[in-house]
Amino acid sequence: MRNSSSNCRRGPSLPDLAVAELDDEALRAQADSLGLALRVDELRSIAERLGRAPSLVELYAFDAQWSEHCSYKSSRALLGRLPTDGPDVVLGPAEDAGILHLGEHEGERYGIVIAHESHNHPSQVVPFEGAATGIGGIVRDVLCMGAEVVAVADPLRFGNVERVNEHQRAVARGVVDGIAAYGNAIGVPNIAGDCYFDGDFDDNVLVNVVALGLVKESEIVHSRVPRQGADFVLLLVGKATDASGFGGASFSSVALDAQEAQSNKGAVQVPDPFLKNVIMRASYRVFSLLRERGVEVGFKDLGAGGIMGCSAELCSAGGFGAEVDLDTVNVAVDRLLPEVIAVGETQERLLWALPEDIVDEVERIYNEEFSLPQVAQNARAVRIGRATAEQHYRLRHRGELVMDVPIDFLTGTVRDTLPAEAPVPPTMRRERDVLSERTLDDLFHEILAHRDVCSRAPLYRHYDAVVRGRTVIPRGEADAGVLAPIRGSRLAFALSVAGNPRIGRIDPQRAAELAVYESARKVVAVGGEPIGLTDCLNYGSPRDPRQYGELVAGVDGLARAARGFGLAYVSGNVSLYNAAANGHAVPASPIVACVGRIADLSRCVTLPLKEVGSHLYLIGETQRALGGSVLASILGLADEAAPEIDMERAVAEHRFILAAAREGLLRSAHAISDGGLLVTLAEMSFGCVAARRAPIGIELDGSVGWSSVGRNESLFGEWGGVVVEVAPGDIERFEALAESLESVREIGTTTAEPLLSFEDEAWEIADLQRSWSRPLEELFL
Amino acid sequence: MKARVAVLVFPGTNSEMETRDLLVDCGADARIVHWSEAASLQYYDAFVLPGGFAYEDRIRAGAIAAHDAMLDAVIEGAQAGKYVLGICNGAQILLEAGLAPGTGEVRRPTAAFTHNAQGHFICERVLLRRTVAATRCAIAAALPEDVLIPAWAAHGQGRLAAVPSHLEEIDNGDFIVFRYADVAGATDAHFAPQGSALGAAALTNREGNVLAIMPHPERDAWNFNHLDRSEGDDPLAPSGGSVLFESFVTALERR
Amino acid sequence: MNERAYAVELKIPDNEAYTAMRALQRLGVAVARVQRADILVFEREESDEALSALIERDERLFNPNKHRLERLPGAHPRDGEVWVEMLDAARSAPMRRLVGWRLFDHAGNPLGGADLDAACTRLLCNPAIERAIR
Repeated sequence: MRNSSSNCRRGPSLPDLAVAELDDEALRAQADSLGLALRVDELRSIAERLGRAPSLVELYAFDAQWSEHCSYKSSRALLGRLPTDGPDVVLGPAEDAGILHLGEHEGERYGIVIAHESHNHPSQVVPFEGAATGIGGIVRDVLCMGAEVVAVADPLRFGNVERVNEHQRAVARGVVDGIAAYGNAIGVPNIAGDCYFDGDFDDNVLVNVVALGLVKESEIVHSRVPRQGADFVLLLVGKATDASGFGGASFSSVALDAQEAQSNKGAVQVPDPFLKNVIMRASYRVFSLLRERGVEVGFKDLGAGGIMGCSAELCSAGGFGAEVDLDTVNVAVDRLLPEVIAVGETQERLLWALPEDIVDEVERIYNEEFSLPQVAQNARAVRIGRATAEQHYRLRHRGELVMDVPIDFLTGTVRDTLPAEAPVPPTMRRERDVLSERTLDDLFHEILAHRDVCSRAPLYRHYDAVVRGRTVIPRGEADAGVLAPIRGSRLAFALSVAGNPRIGRIDPQRAAELAVYESARKVVAVGGEPIGLTDCLNYGSPRDPRQYGELVAGVDGLARAARGFGLAYVSGNVSLYNAAANGHAVPASPIVACVGRIADLSRCVTLPLKEVGSHLYLIGETQRALGGSVLASILGLADEAAPEIDMERAVAEHRFILAAAREGLLRSAHAISDGGLLVTLAEMSFGCVAARRAPIGIELDGSVGWSSVGRNESLFGEWGGVVVEVAPGDIERFEALAESLESVREIGTTTAEPLLSFEDEAWEIADLQRSWSRPLEELFL
Repeated sequence: MKARVAVLVFPGTNSEMETRDLLVDCGADARIVHWSEAASLQYYDAFVLPGGFAYEDRIRAGAIAAHDAMLDAVIEGAQAGKYVLGICNGAQILLEAGLAPGTGEVRRPTAAFTHNAQGHFICERVLLRRTVAATRCAIAAALPEDVLIPAWAAHGQGRLAAVPSHLEEIDNGDFIVFRYADVAGATDAHFAPQGSALGAAALTNREGNVLAIMPHPERDAWNFNHLDRSEGDDPLAPSGGSVLFESFVTALERR
Repeated sequence: MNERAYAVELKIPDNEAYTAMRALQRLGVAVARVQRADILVFEREESDEALSALIERDERLFNPNKHRLERLPGAHPRDGEVWVEMLDAARSAPMRRLVGWRLFDHAGNPLGGADLDAACTRLLCNPAIERAIR
């Protein structure tokens, strides 16, 4: 791994790498000294295909392009198993972001653009900037589809943040501050997310990010040079290229150790949300210019592989080659090496492919109207090359050709075939009640205060949830964030994320299935009809058959559940090598985001109980399966089986909940997740002071009928399901609508007295709220 | 004819769209004016400075924007009696420009909205109550008596601070138009979520034609922003925080 | 107890200093170059190594990717330099944090008294919340 000091070479240029003349050992040593992650067989295949020794620039280009990060070489074959098409899919996972059909307004079809990424390794090394650049990168993925960026969400997995672990606490705080600093400044509301804490993330935190955009389906811009695009001009926009982020793509593709983490700080880019804010607004202006002219163009974000990776992919996706002159690139420092300009991952840059006759106007918008050069030194839009009919990728530097390779070879599919060992999940289902010594009261408070259960408000209050003024439901007030993206329209979308690492540890396939189920369930609980998914696969090393086996099982689980729910993945990301130098990997972490359609936002359902005298219903079937639950982790039950999903029934339940929401029969709703039913009820009862809702009590029915599985499985099991509040006058319609669904049962009523009562227990809601609301305050305040 | 309102955009502004939309829905002819169009500002009847991070809060929040060419027009307009509303970052700019509380010279600030007591950005719902007479600030004059305005505190630097003698002047001179309130409408310094001095959420100037308000009423300003508190059947209709903008537009029409 | 000061300066282009320079020029201050640094002042007995390590441990204070750390000769501003400190800066922290501005004229010399005063009172320091140390 290189560090930043090698970015400026002194003395005479190093020669090309004489691949053919070196034996394997010498070749490896040479490659290592150059900081190349390419394998010996890959190096040989490059030299063979080129028919000569590759130049250094070429080597760094292949190193980036064939890295796990860019090529998905360990996962691409697996990803083919995922369903990617369906009635609501406008664009599947082929470009920088996917697109789902949201609905129509005034005769226009609107799409929701969605991208899902990880910024795990950078966030471990420099938490603040790593997390900030995560937002920065994904926002560009959405923007370059021609979309207005309207929302972001952040699933986070931190290490053990107990008071003694100062480092883990600093990482968690740095990540949250970085997300806030970037997202707040660009003015995109953060409306959803989740957060888990586990010592198994100590060496590898997971920082995923989801971004959504709004686009008219007739105005989508693709990440490829259009068919008539031979000789289209490549116009680079944004920050001046510097030496930061050199080695980024291969850096994200290897396991970290603590010392490397220090020396790798140079591979993390420096974010500039202020510049991004201006670039976004200038790009919106360019979109409207292109609409006026009816011009078809290509637009792509610069991510892994920098200028080289972006221009090569933009052109080859359209069936073209490319020629780029590195001397024309706006740089922040003189004497940058050609390979740094070519593959360095400086932030805040995008690349247009434009017909010659519109380039001047687009340049003027960025450079003069939005004055990029005044916003950041030497930031601008600049012509750097052209798309070519000839199928070669060529780079020039100081008049010399420093790279000349067949473009399909550079951007083509690289696949590794790897051995996988299937995981063996626990199957224990204890017949008797698992609690013997602990009182219910004691356990309930401990679960409410558990780090995976307690209030996330101290964390998400750092994020702007309401900028742009179109937020319908911010985080914390329902199971999914809801936003109305189109002025004058009742159309809205819901967004949720899920992925439980406690399940991932014991049963990788089930964890993936449950992530899909939970994300869909949360969207349904606000009255949103799930229309599509994204996934981010966060795993250990694909070179470790057990860790690779977890990835295989995870993909199978994602595929199975998505098919069960009739959903497709339109975008995704794979993050591998989330393992420490000693080989210890993170728990299998397939993280899923679900988008829901809300045809009439006035039918949205929020979480807090609304009225005294309502009836509470549980929709879902209790299971004897405590595996992966918070209760199991508190009691140290490691061998319990994870819950199963009866997908046919879950789909029917979701359909019923949506019908009831549309009819206006649900006063409130809350999906059961971490902590189980009793936690769900408590959270509904807390009210919402700022929304001027006082706490409301709950009296649970004694005859709830959960004796078949045991009281504690019923109260604390995490098998899914949703609790809803129904007005007394609506019960008949509600029950009629439930019809043949057997898994809908009344479980209690709401009361004026602020107590949660059950059998002979009666908890003061204020006490429960105290246990639940405070644990994260000391960390994030 | 409708009042012509300019919504100013500096590099880094991020709340111009919703601010413009709400002004339009409240009956103004509101337009977004970009920093490259500063020369056109003189033709507007009133100015609104929306939220964001103008010039990335370089030096201090609002400091660079206060010296921008756009502010030349705003200062000139304010001195001629035009109405000026600054929200969040816009409020910070007005304080840096010396337009609110306006107790010193122009562009020589006597107060600031500065770093929150918790040292980081916060985003949470708040309620605001007018704590001066209706006549004190023209922009807030047409508000229903005793109305509680819902808004979002969404800022990293929303804590009013000044040296003690200036704070006293601000308090005694009824410069604090809105203070943070609880659900019952009581005001107290400790209801300010970021520790703002005197529980202050918004300041005016001596003449009462300038209002610098730190929280965002425009983000809780349509029924769909607060479905539980909808007024009327149309989820797209303005309500809640929109009362301040209605009052602003009413004031403009009465002139 | 003797005070020791460190300057953390950007080694990548400092857009804030650049903006400050343009704004000062607009205000008629005869400045041609502006440098900005975070100034960290310690009143502790630890060794230089220990204090540098303390600074380098916190990514927000010091990131080798973009910062340069310099031990200053004294704990006071040099010629042409002003340090700005928040009036209510937390005193319990292990160090005082200030912002240092260093201004140079067209001949490359540190900016003289009157111009430096103007830069402070008109832009670099808001006396409602900050004090300028010269």
